[in-house]
Formats: sequence, structure tokens, C-alpha cells
Amino acid sequence: MLFYSFFKSLVGKDVVVELKNDLSCHTGKRRVDMDSCCRIAICGTLHSVDQYLNIKLTDISVTDPEKYPHMLSVKNCFIRGSVVRYVQLPADEVDTQLLQDAARKEALQQKQ
Amino acid sequence: MFRYESLEDCPLDEDEDAFQGLGEEDEEIDQFNDDTFGSGAVDDDWQEAHERLAELEEKLPAAVNEQTGNGERDEMDLLGDHEENLAERLSKMVIENELEDPAIMTAVQTRPVLQPQPGSLNSSIWDGSEVLRRIRGPLLAQEMPAVSVLEYALPQRTPQAPEDDRDLSERALPRRSTSPVIGSPPVRAVPIGTPPKQMAVPSFNQQILCPKPVHVRPPMPPRYPAPYGERMSPNQLCSVPLQPGRMSPSQFARVPGFVGSPLAAAMNPKLLQGRVGQMLPPAPGFRAFFSAPPPATPPPPQQHPPGPGPHLQNLRSQAPMFRPDTTHLHPQHRRLLHQRQQQNRNQHRNLNGAGDRGSHRSSHHDHLRKDPYANLMLQREKDWVSKIQMMQLQSTDPYLDDFYYQNYFEKLEKLSAAEEVQGDGPKKERTKLITPQVAKLEHTYKPVQFEGSLGKLTVSSVNNPRKMIDAVVTSRSEDDETKEKQVRDKRRKTLVIIEKTYSLLLDVEDYERRYLLSLEEERPALMEERKHKICSMYDNLRGKLPGQERPSDDHFVQIMCIRKGKRMVARILPFLSTEQAADILMTTARSLPFLIKKDAQDEVLPCLLSPFSLLVYHLPSVTVTSLLQQLMNLPQSAAAPAPSNPHLTAVLQNKFGLSLLLVVLSRGEDLQSSDPAAESTQNNQWTEVMFTATQELLRIPQAALAKPLSIPTNLVSLFSRYVDRQKLNLLETKLQLVQGIR
Repeated sequence: MLFYSFFKSLVGKDVVVELKNDLSCHTGKRRVDMDSCCRIAICGTLHSVDQYLNIKLTDISVTDPEKYPHMLSVKNCFIRGSVVRYVQLPADEVDTQLLQDAARKEALQQKQ
Repeated sequence: MFRYESLEDCPLDEDEDAFQGLGEEDEEIDQFNDDTFGSGAVDDDWQEAHERLAELEEKLPAAVNEQTGNGERDEMDLLGDHEENLAERLSKMVIENELEDPAIMTAVQTRPVLQPQPGSLNSSIWDGSEVLRRIRGPLLAQEMPAVSVLEYALPQRTPQAPEDDRDLSERALPRRSTSPVIGSPPVRAVPIGTPPKQMAVPSFNQQILCPKPVHVRPPMPPRYPAPYGERMSPNQLCSVPLQPGRMSPSQFARVPGFVGSPLAAAMNPKLLQGRVGQMLPPAPGFRAFFSAPPPATPPPPQQHPPGPGPHLQNLRSQAPMFRPDTTHLHPQHRRLLHQRQQQNRNQHRNLNGAGDRGSHRSSHHDHLRKDPYANLMLQREKDWVSKIQMMQLQSTDPYLDDFYYQNYFEKLEKLSAAEEVQGDGPKKERTKLITPQVAKLEHTYKPVQFEGSLGKLTVSSVNNPRKMIDAVVTSRSEDDETKEKQVRDKRRKTLVIIEKTYSLLLDVEDYERRYLLSLEEERPALMEERKHKICSMYDNLRGKLPGQERPSDDHFVQIMCIRKGKRMVARILPFLSTEQAADILMTTARSLPFLIKKDAQDEVLPCLLSPFSLLVYHLPSVTVTSLLQQLMNLPQSAAAPAPSNPHLTAVLQNKFGLSLLLVVLSRGEDLQSSDPAAESTQNNQWTEVMFTATQELLRIPQAALAKPLSIPTNLVSLFSRYVDRQKLNLLETKLQLVQGIR
């Protein structure tokens, strides 16, 4: 439940989700200048997450709209957790010390 | 004899007589064949089929009369009634029980009607899984095939007969899942090809579960909206594409009792779906998804914001005005979200203008009204699905399971509280997040047993793992290791020690909470434990040589070379006693240049400054004096000083070093000024050291001095005691003690 708890704390923040199928969507607000060759990311505001780390993003945008015109009209999306490769987070929203503590606690718990 | 090649050939316009004249056996066989292998199996036009079904249903009662045997029919009807009764009772059970968990209830929209429970079917049913197994024994079997719902709707009868009404519910469940004339394949209780079950299934059940294609009219309430009608024909379900949803039927199996759906109507379409082994349509996935955050006691459930139902359909629209699951969030989190939404709304308003949004929204509603796929599920059904998901999130220990989230927002609240104290802002509520806790149930594993056999099977499963491989652990011999390996191993050993100490630290930090939760008698024991752990932490830090002197700083220095080791020391320091902490500080001071060199990449040393400062302000004069000596590497005697003092230079060039030095000096000054008369020997020592210190400071070249984290204010007065005016100015400029120079 560690990362579920972690992502819950990020609900409402802007994240970029990179998918395993190389499709990525960006949030609509900022156009992140990424090297768009074969790295597709979905930018969006994290709306919610569940225990399988399925992610729902609102107000999304894709890196390279020309390549994926079918995503032009999509505003919200639901991404199955298993296809996510990376999730890029805002650094100041994450407390790494707390995250490490949580990981240690979880490891302790599993050992028992 | 009529022979129907395909569904489309079915003559709808025949009058009743002709319809009744269908040859029973042949007709069935032909249709089955068609549906399985022939054209009927390919569902091209479910809409037409559906319309036909709708029309046929008028004729069905007549057909039923003819086609079923009387006996069966009576039973079926009986079961139907029982099913509905039981379903209602079960629904009351489910909904009622969930009221105990406000978190789950906030996920649903419908407010259940509170009714008195049947006595036996009370919450005791939900207390233990054994009880649950009685109701849903087969459904909780460990090996749950991820096949259709009906698969486990087949009761695997345990030898003892469950109570009648529950029995009936299980038998009654599949009643509606066949449709005779449309020509769905016969409901198979087991999918074709599964090995025969070992449990003897009463033949009675089989008759029900593999019923003749007698279709009793589905008791679907007429409250479904018109366009939907009874669209859940089996043929339609065949064509529902497999959604990447999360609600596999096997999941339903694990949720106790839910298969006995609270909603009789809901169950039937679900069964139809399940028969094909498909997932639910995506709509409930979203709905349940919205309820994803784990249970948290919100403000009273009446405040639950309205309708995630329409929200679901607004998925394509702009961001919702509110979040239906906001009540699950920490109050701080909720506040942040609301603020954010406000901002967004304002932005949108500025960008789009009000008129646009209005028209946009109204066109959406129009679109929704005409949406043929809308309202496939009732609100109750959606709630039911989301309840399942919420139940999965119940945890026995929310503090551990949800550690990050809770602590993160606690920290945020503390920060904002601290800020507010400084500035007289409006006092916000300090609300805490309370998560309901489910009692942990102990399950004793009972191995599989067959009746009449001797002994028990040794079957390996999740609950009862068996050793498969004899793995022997061989440790390497010392000779094989090269120097590199030794270095690497040493580092690894240090890392292991750090991790062990970290576990102790987390435990110790947790004691406050445990103390509050514990009983009176347990508290001394807790305190003892805590002390013991603190001692072990200290031992770990210094290298475990309990009875001995601690000549070597090496162990500690090794720990301090690693970034997380430094952070850990910073966190441990407040727990140590003053002597222990002073010891740590001295060791650090002694090896400071080395540590500085090692820290060049990480730059984590400044995190140690604040606990060290805190400590220094509690130190007695003697310690401060010796500390200063250590820090500056001052010569012990009054002999001629060495030409250069690299130690001091290194210290001064490092932010941490310089800050620490200043803090120590400041403390010394405090001590001096506070009690000038007392303890002259110490005073003398201090004065001597200060003289030497100032000489050293004057001597060192004005190299690139670091910028200290904070400059104590009393340094000028400190130095003024020991040096004359000119040198004081020199020192000031060198150390940039005067505010204006910066």
C-alpha cells in the first residue's frame, strides 16, 4: 500500500505519465519540451489513484499531438497501472525522507 | 418441423399456435448448434436480436407453460420468490453492515433503508471468514478460476448442508441467465472442458444450473430507462469487448457475500455478463475509481456531495466542479484541492468567458440525454461495485498501510500551523484524519481433508507453503576475498548497520504514539524498551564494544561517510543523552576535515548543524572548551604553533564547519557572560583557548571562507575581549561578522 498512499498525497498535482507502449500524454497547461522521438508522455493533473496504481488524469495533453491526433480531443483519461513506465512528479511535493521511512516500515512489516 | 438456420430466420410473426408447435427437442438442438457453431454464434446484429427478444417476451409465458414440466416449474417459481426474498435480505445485510464503516458508506450515493435485521443473519455473519465460508463456501475457495461468475455460482457443496435459505439463493442465482428461444447456449455450470469436480453436486442443483432453455421472464424491474430496456441479452454480452477493467469475476468471488447481490435486478445482468466471462463495462470502473481513496472518516455522511453518477458521464466534459470522493481525503488535502479548483475555475473563466462554458455544458447534456449507453447501471449497482472496492481497502492497521499519506499531511499541517503562529493569520481548524480500522482476524489454516481417508494431504498453497528446494547457504572463505572485495564488504556492512539502526530509530520515534495508545500497566515496559533501543542505537553508532573503551572513531566515521548515515545521526541525536551526544560531537569534530572531504559530493553535513547547535547550547563549559580545541585543532601546549593549520582551514572553508565553529564560540561567550565569577579554572582554560583561537584565526589567510548558515550575534563582543581594536577589525572583516559588509 506504500505507493498507493504515496500517490494519494499527489492527487491534484501535475504529473507526466510515460507509458510502456511509448504513448505519453501531457497535461494541457504546460507544453513540456521533450525530445519527442519515441518518448510519449501524458501530462495531466492526477485526479485519483487506486490500489493497483491505475491512474486517472484530467486535463491531459500529449507530447506530440501531430503524431497522435486521436488524443487531441481527450480531456481525461484512465490509465491502467500495469502500462505505466514512469511517472514524473513535482519534486517539491515529495518528502523523500518520509518516503524512505515508509519503505523501511513496510519492509519491516513484511519481514514479520 | 421447423428448422431455423439462424436467429434472423426466426419467424416473429407466427401466431401463437405455430410458436407452440415448435418441436421441442429438435428445435433446441438446432438452436444450440447454431449458436455454438453456426451463424447464430456470430452476433452481428444484437440490436435486432434484442428487439426480437423484447417482442418474444410477450409470448414467453405461454411458451413456458408448454415447455416446462410442471414440477420443475413449481420449483423454479419457488426459487424465484425465494431468490428475491433472500436477495432483499442479503441486501439489507450488506448495506446495514457497511454503515458501521462510514468510509465505505461515503463511497455510495444511496442511503439504505434501515430495517430490522433477521436475527440470525446479523453482523456475526461478517465476523469471521468461516462464517462467510458457510454462506459462500465455494466462492472463497483458494483456487478460484478466473472464469465466469456462474462458475462459482455452482455451489460446491460441503458435506454439511448450509441453511436452506442460503442454499436457495445459490441455486436460484442463475435462473435468469438463459434465454430459450433466442438460442443462447445452455448455461453450463462449468465451462466446457473443465475436469469433473470431486464434490458431488446434487442433481437437483444441476437441473437448475444447467436448466433447460426455459426462460422465465427476467424479473427485471421496469425502472430501467427506455432506451436501455433489456439490452443485456447474452448476444450483446458476447460482443462487449473485453475491457481492461479491474473487476474480474474472481474478485467478486473473494468479496464475501456479494455474489448474493443486494440487488436482485442487478444480479441478473451481472450474471449475464459473467456467463460470458467478460468484464463489467467501463462505467462502473470509473465510478469505483472515483472512490478509490481509502476509507477516512469524513464529516458526517450527510454532507456527502451529490451524484458521482452524472459525474461519470461528465468524464468528457471539463473538470468537475467538485470531487465526489473529497470526503476521503485529509482535510488539509481537501483544502488544497479546493484552492486549486478555484484557481482553475478562475483561469477558465478568464480564458473562455462565461457564455462559452454555458453552451458547452448544455450541449453536453443534450448529448448525454441521447446517449444510448447511459444508465446501464443503476445508482445502486454502481454503489455496490464501489462498495466492493472500498471493502478491499479496509485495512487492519491504517497507520502502517497509509503511513506516507497521513504523515505527509500532518507535516504540512504542522508547517502551516507554525507559519500561522508567526503571522497572525486566521486560525484554521486543526483537523485530524481518522481512518477506521478493521479488526485483524486470525485464520488458522486447516489442511485439506477428504472424508473417510486417513491422514491429511500435503498440499502446498499460499497459506501453507511447503519447502520445495533444499537450498544450502555457503559462505565464502576469507582467503578468496581480494582487497577490493574487503573494502566493498566493509561498506556493505556499514550499510547494514545503518539500516538496522534506522529500524531502531523508527521504532523509537514511534514510541510516543504507542505510549498514548497503550494501557497504564504497559507503559513502564514501553519506556524500558525505548531506553534499551536508544542504547543499542548508540552502540551501533559507535561500534559495539560494550565493555571497553572506545579508542577508535573509525566505525562512526564510516557511518558518517555515507549520506544516509549522516541523516540518521541527525535524527538520532535528540534521543541520546547529553554525554552520548557530546561524545558523538567530539568524534565528529576530531574527524571533521576527513568528513568534509567525503561530503564534498553529498553536501549533507549542514543537516547536522541544527541538532548539533541544540546540543551545544546544553553543554557545560569544559566540554565547550575541549570542543573548540578539537574543532580548530589547536595545539595543546603553548609551544610554537605549526606553520599551517590545514585542519582549521578545511573547517573554515566548509559551510558546516564554519557554522559549527561559530556556534561553539557563541556558546562559549554565553557561558562567559552569564556567570563571570564562577569556576575560574574553567574560565582560565577558556581564555587561553580563546587566545590561541584568535591567533589562529588571524593567521589563516583570507581564503574562500564559506558562508555560514547562521551567524551568532555575540561574536563581536566575544572577540573584543581577547584582541585589541585593530585586530578586532581584522577579524571582523575576515569572518564577515559585521552585518554591513555582506
